[in-house]
Amino acid sequence: MTSVAVGVTILNILVAFTLSLGGAPILVWMERRVAGFIQDRPGPNRCHIGGFRLGGLVQSVADMLKLVFKEDFTPGHIRQKFYFTLAPAIVFACAFLTFMVMPVADILYIDAKPYIMQALPIEFGALWFLAFAGLSVYGVLLGGWASENKYSILGGIRVSASMISYEASMSLALISMLLIYGSVNLTQIAAFQGGLIFGFIPAWGVVLQPISAIIFIITSFAETNRAPFDMAEGESEIVGFHVEYSAMKFGLFFVGEYIAMCASSALIVTLFFGGYQIPWLNTQALQNNLTLVLSTLIIILPIMVFLFTRWMKKANRWLGDSLDPRHKETKKLTSFLFVSTALIMLVLALLAFSNLSQNSTNITIAFLQILTFSIKIYLMNFIYIVVRWTLPRFRYDQLQYLGWKILLPLALANIFITALVVVGLS
Amino acid sequence: MKTKIVPRHGKSFKEKIYLPAVFGGMKVTLKHFFSNLIDGKKFKSMSYPEEQPKDITPRYRGVHRLTKRDDGSVRCVACFMCATACPAECIFIEAAQREDGVDEKMPKKFSIDLLECVFCGGCVEACPCDAIRMDSGIFSFIAKKREDFVLNKEKLLSIEKWSEK
Repeated sequence: MTSVAVGVTILNILVAFTLSLGGAPILVWMERRVAGFIQDRPGPNRCHIGGFRLGGLVQSVADMLKLVFKEDFTPGHIRQKFYFTLAPAIVFACAFLTFMVMPVADILYIDAKPYIMQALPIEFGALWFLAFAGLSVYGVLLGGWASENKYSILGGIRVSASMISYEASMSLALISMLLIYGSVNLTQIAAFQGGLIFGFIPAWGVVLQPISAIIFIITSFAETNRAPFDMAEGESEIVGFHVEYSAMKFGLFFVGEYIAMCASSALIVTLFFGGYQIPWLNTQALQNNLTLVLSTLIIILPIMVFLFTRWMKKANRWLGDSLDPRHKETKKLTSFLFVSTALIMLVLALLAFSNLSQNSTNITIAFLQILTFSIKIYLMNFIYIVVRWTLPRFRYDQLQYLGWKILLPLALANIFITALVVVGLS
Repeated sequence: MKTKIVPRHGKSFKEKIYLPAVFGGMKVTLKHFFSNLIDGKKFKSMSYPEEQPKDITPRYRGVHRLTKRDDGSVRCVACFMCATACPAECIFIEAAQREDGVDEKMPKKFSIDLLECVFCGGCVEACPCDAIRMDSGIFSFIAKKREDFVLNKEKLLSIEKWSEK
């Protein structure tokens, strides 16, 4: 391996880590604040480090610290201590590994040598996702069984039943997408979506296959155990499979759920919303118009930052008095934002108006695509969160009815129709 | 008798595919989300320890206080009516002769154990002299030791009426 290959691999792994593991506290924060705003209350907003609250983001750091430093307690009645400890690790590792195959950018050419921008550069990404998403059921079931508690094992069975039944429709919805893309390679799938239909609509999966997109998104909700299919915990009503867990063992289940959510958002984005593609600007177009794109960014970025600081000044208030500690935070953050924006603009201007070599053009494009991919993932996560705080929970029989009697036949019919159309067109 | 037939929902195709209802619900929640995101002052909750509630009614039963006569002396005559009426037995009175001629008796000691008190208001109703009231509006009483929760006569006399603050 050359040093370039090592560098690209490290970059990919870092990006995947930041988006999945680093995303967990951000998602916890997003979940709480969005829930608060939807219910007309502020959500957690007190925790701070030296006056910096960052809108309550510090709270989830504090929560993570608390989970880490709590006593790792194993109840005395548990005989299978090994499996009891193994279960959260399986859930966490499976969620984590599913994220590793997401293409964060198009194939990067450095000195005309291709580098696949996945943390695990494998060709069968879609199958890898299905395999590990299916494997996480074992962690849930094992945790429920090893807890030696009737409620836990019932919870575990309930969750695994719902996950398995939705996995069937999920795979079938995926198959109809694979028929269209003609590949299980996620990088190729995302590259396919850089094209245009009729010359002006981006050829995203959601345009080509709306039914498949809806089925896949619904089943992803069930697969990640989130509302309206959250049979796993059902915080207020039912006891889930992890009643006997505490401290970081519970933390792994908890973080695993958020990483699984991130991973399935990433897959939804890759399959249906163009992956890393900027709409109407595929890699080729970016290479041709890089100066134009960067100049647009140079114009848009300060406007966005200015509007953001205005909003911050208005929204980051507390009790309305002038001795508000949040004024100081707002001022410091504003100056920090202005300085960093100026620096970023300087870098962008250097990139835009100097004569870039082919390598640096490609690397700049890769960074733009990574940025696009992250924004898309967070938009999808936002939808996950809004849906959770909008819909009531499905009853268990309704959940199975929806999975087996509606989604599965629909997905099957969709496959046949897609196959007919694909064969007919080719 | 007229029968009212409640229409059953969930039979039409539009309701069976759930999605219109899902998007309708999301529209409502997103409306709340964005209006609160843009203007954070529409919250129905308040920042509690800094913002205190302003809607305490005159009949709210808060921490007790002992009322005073016009000359500023204690109104209580140590008749033990409140201590007798108290279901939690949290009022402890020691009577003494009143020497200044205003009345015959007065409490030497008058203490209420707030950890025992159930805030029923029985003492206020039992009092024949309007000497004890619960209109202080204090709904949250904090102390660091158990002993500090026992309010003595001086403390009870120093608490003021809610509306006068």
